[in-house]
Amino acid sequence: MQEFLSKLPLFEEKILSFIETIIANIVLIGQIPAPTFQEKHRTRVLLERLAEFQVDECTTDGYRNPIGIIRGRSHSKPPIFVVAHMDTAYGRDVDHNFTVHGDNISGPGVLDNSVGVGVMASLPEIFRRLEVSFESDIVLAGVIQSIGRGNLRGIRHLIKTWSTPIRGAVCIEGGELGRLNYYSDGMIRCEICCKIAEADTGRHSRPNAILIVNEIINQMLALRLPQRPRSEIVIGTIAGGLKHGSEANEATLGFEIRSDADQMVHSLYTDIKDIVDGIGNIYQLEIQMNPISNLSASQLKYNHPLVKSATAVMHQLGLKPASVPSESELSIFLSRKIPTITLGVTHGKRYQDRNSIAEITPIAKGIAQIIGVILAIDSGVCDEN
Amino acid sequence: MKTDWIRTHTFHYSEFSDINRLVAAKEEKALKISLCLPTLNEERTIAKELVILKSELMTRYPLLDELVVIDSDSTDDTRQVARSFGADVYTASEILPHLGTYRGKGENLWKALYITSGDIIIYLDADIKNIHHRFAYGLLGPLLLYNGIKYCKAFYDRPIAIGKNRIRPTGGGRVTELVIRPLFSLFFPELTQIMQPLSGEYAGFREIFEKIPFPIGYGVETSMILDIFQNWSLDVIAQVDLEKRIHRNQDTKALGKMAFAIMKTFINRKRTLGLIDLKEEMFDEMIQYNLVNDKIQPDIVRIQGVERPPMIEIPEYREKFHEVQDTAATH
Repeated sequence: MQEFLSKLPLFEEKILSFIETIIANIVLIGQIPAPTFQEKHRTRVLLERLAEFQVDECTTDGYRNPIGIIRGRSHSKPPIFVVAHMDTAYGRDVDHNFTVHGDNISGPGVLDNSVGVGVMASLPEIFRRLEVSFESDIVLAGVIQSIGRGNLRGIRHLIKTWSTPIRGAVCIEGGELGRLNYYSDGMIRCEICCKIAEADTGRHSRPNAILIVNEIINQMLALRLPQRPRSEIVIGTIAGGLKHGSEANEATLGFEIRSDADQMVHSLYTDIKDIVDGIGNIYQLEIQMNPISNLSASQLKYNHPLVKSATAVMHQLGLKPASVPSESELSIFLSRKIPTITLGVTHGKRYQDRNSIAEITPIAKGIAQIIGVILAIDSGVCDEN
Repeated sequence: MKTDWIRTHTFHYSEFSDINRLVAAKEEKALKISLCLPTLNEERTIAKELVILKSELMTRYPLLDELVVIDSDSTDDTRQVARSFGADVYTASEILPHLGTYRGKGENLWKALYITSGDIIIYLDADIKNIHHRFAYGLLGPLLLYNGIKYCKAFYDRPIAIGKNRIRPTGGGRVTELVIRPLFSLFFPELTQIMQPLSGEYAGFREIFEKIPFPIGYGVETSMILDIFQNWSLDVIAQVDLEKRIHRNQDTKALGKMAFAIMKTFINRKRTLGLIDLKEEMFDEMIQYNLVNDKIQPDIVRIQGVERPPMIEIPEYREKFHEVQDTAATH
């Protein structure tokens, strides 16, 4: 391990010398709109890029996740997965043309997750230039239908149908450089939809859907959340109403319940369902509460060799690891007992903005870190567990 | 009239996506290729163009030999940004300064002939928001792989039937459809086969570019086509479908000025060729009107229609590019 650790700063320096190739991939792939469920064009471009960079195999799985395989030296070692999600939160109507200016790339979804996909597409060329090879096959997988309503369908399918054991995995996110995710909270993602038909006048005056959702929010906020197990309710989206002068007939609330204990997630889900049913009963309305995604809590221990190796790699590159739970592709790998971590590639600003910004120079360090972790997995740190 | 040109000389960029094949052809013919971006305040888009073109066609494949930016005294950071992303940057006014300076794209293209060293020169606009290296290799394909072709022009939408009865329009802009195509139809019907004569992306051999005059402004694309057609015939021209190109939209008044410059260039060419006879000189002011505080006020812009002579007539150019050959021939 010490042998490749000492090479990482040199890798960073070399990567910086051909950074334009990586920027080109980020831009060429990221400028193709890929809202969840509409990733087809971005998938085609990623496959083209992987083929151009001469991976040994380039294909899609049965769910149309794009995959490139770099063959390893050993025929007996299981493969190592490198995964980046393909979809973004932005629709086709949003101008996806990126800007490169100074040390920044900006545009919609650049951090989440064009940088991740662009870096993954560049790995075959980077390995070649750094003269790095592996025992294991390296499976580069862009996974579709990941975020929001996608409910991680792409990665679920990929792992479920993969025919061999998997040695370990690295999930790549555009930002933030320094993140080291190795555990996932249990999570249920829900939507509450309140629709008031013309005839629903109830006991009181005609109800207002926004005010009803507001009442639901107030009662959710009044729930007492325990400190142990660690739990939270995140209210993420709200929409409703038609115009300023009309009572709202429709309102929708999107939220997530998260906890490191699955039981607490389910308990809070039941509490919120009771709130919704109770308010529906008062106003004589049928308020829908639909779970759209769920995950079980899963984790690697802090002293797992993969976590320790990743920490060593990051320290070697002058990075201070920051660990928070991550509900993403990581959860699916961990739930199947495949040692996995998520790493960020670069620093950025305005993650959720249409004009989000990714810094260029730190990308080299972010990639050196990913290579370090892949080398660690290839050296066998995940094999004993 | 030759009507099968469109069938034999129209290509799609994907026919040239095997870049190794282009590199092999370039090396076999011992050609040098320059790419030139004329700029005026393009700091927002120039870096992305340079990064992609350099990465894909210089670093990964040795197809381009130089990337040159010719700038018209931008007031933003265009030159600095271009330099930092690896381009050779020149200010148009500092090239052949004793010949004076005009502001316009044609001026930059003309001066690029003196600065660049390639046997083939690719001209791309610097404001292409959806830049992709196909813009360069697509234009190079016919020049490298088809011996008779000396000049290649881009177009951006396929004017072909899709499905059984559905036809997509050519995608020509308003000035193309309202000015150029009617003029070509009236005087040079063969040239109507060129889908987008005003597209700002084209490539050609130096031996062609150095022998034609360059209007300094909007008329440069029109005059280039007319001159190449007259001097060499349509057979040396090809056009390549580069699919989608996201343009900066211009308002109707700006397009009016463009149309003025193009018509003036066109009529001047017709007169030079002895094809028409004007009884009096044309005016050089485009007059438009604005409504200001309920009063109609004229908005007059002078568009002189200055042309640079063929570069080969410039002594410094001949000295730089032809003296060696001329001397060798003499001996």
